[in-house]
Amino acid sequence: MLGSMLSQYARTLSVAAVLLLIGIIEAFGLRDAVYGDLLPFFTWMRESSWFGVIGTTYGSIYATVEAVHLLSMAVLGGTVLATDLRLLGVIFRDVPSETLVTGTYKCFKWALFMAVLTGIFCAAGVGDKIYYMQVFWIKMLVLLTGSCFMIFIKQPFLTSRAHSEISPWTLRLLAVTSILIWFTVAATGRWIGFS
Amino acid sequence: MINELLLQFGHWMEAQEYSQMLVAGYYSYSWLEATHVLTLMVSIGSLFIIDLRMLGLIMPNVSASLIAARLHKPMIIGFVIMFITGALLVYAKPVETIQSLWFRIKMFLLLLAFINAWIFNTRMKAADGNWDMNPVAPKALRVSAVISLVLWCGVVTLGRYIPYDWVDCTNTNNTTILWAAGCVEQLNAL
Repeated sequence: MLGSMLSQYARTLSVAAVLLLIGIIEAFGLRDAVYGDLLPFFTWMRESSWFGVIGTTYGSIYATVEAVHLLSMAVLGGTVLATDLRLLGVIFRDVPSETLVTGTYKCFKWALFMAVLTGIFCAAGVGDKIYYMQVFWIKMLVLLTGSCFMIFIKQPFLTSRAHSEISPWTLRLLAVTSILIWFTVAATGRWIGFS
Repeated sequence: MINELLLQFGHWMEAQEYSQMLVAGYYSYSWLEATHVLTLMVSIGSLFIIDLRMLGLIMPNVSASLIAARLHKPMIIGFVIMFITGALLVYAKPVETIQSLWFRIKMFLLLLAFINAWIFNTRMKAADGNWDMNPVAPKALRVSAVISLVLWCGVVTLGRYIPYDWVDCTNTNNTTILWAAGCVEQLNAL
């Protein structure tokens, strides 16, 4: 009885567990305790890792990787917008939303992979600078939230049943949440450059 | 001659009150730049989806012309915002930008990208409609899609290079670079 109930709400319970974990981390000051220990890692990233050494030695390579990062974010944003604007009924009204959700996902995953890979390179080049930036940590948190939301919540939910069986408000809520999350990821990323 | 005229135009813009306000404002320049870059997700994001569909790499089961038609509007909105913010960014730092080699190459690639977009549209209208549901578009359209991807990757990369000073007028003595970047004063001094 309990087992079937738990399996029925596996995703909801996972999200609740993650939120509880975040609460515990905050309540017991674990974040502050870990934060100080991370500085040597960021310094190592900049001074000793391959990415850091290449990024700080060759400015042109760093700028080119930054451009690839931007292009990856552009493709990621394009797939997110195409899908979410369809869920909101703004564009592609004559294409089934299921087709867009499945059709753009592979491209989204590649774009996310490239954005993360190039993002690590860019972060390594300025490792000991971004460590002190609050906006960098906000971006990491939102990026993690966005990736988990997309991979474990939005995509499985939208591919598990016909969209006609889902309340239009749930679809809209998913779309707005997704747009807000990815916009925040991109905006905080841009803000790192200004800080 | 053209470099002198462009430099004069740059100095004239730089003397404008609004140009100075854009740079002096604590957030104004950052907001402009952020909007310019974030709109990439709308404009180039949409454009790349169209190009990738032509190559059969995304949504091959959806009509290619339908994807192009439905993404046309958001793409144009994105590009309009990018051009307005881009023009304002030039207006804020006119002399520096006009004398940037990367900016000049970027403008050239932009021109090529628009010619390619025009050719792409013409080819799409002229193409026999039977290909529309095929996973990949006819060769002519695929070639245009690849050219579009390459040109826009170039535009974004060169846009990223502009803030770097590797080949600024004050950092090089190479006459070809100085001429191409429009470094009039440095060329006259040589």
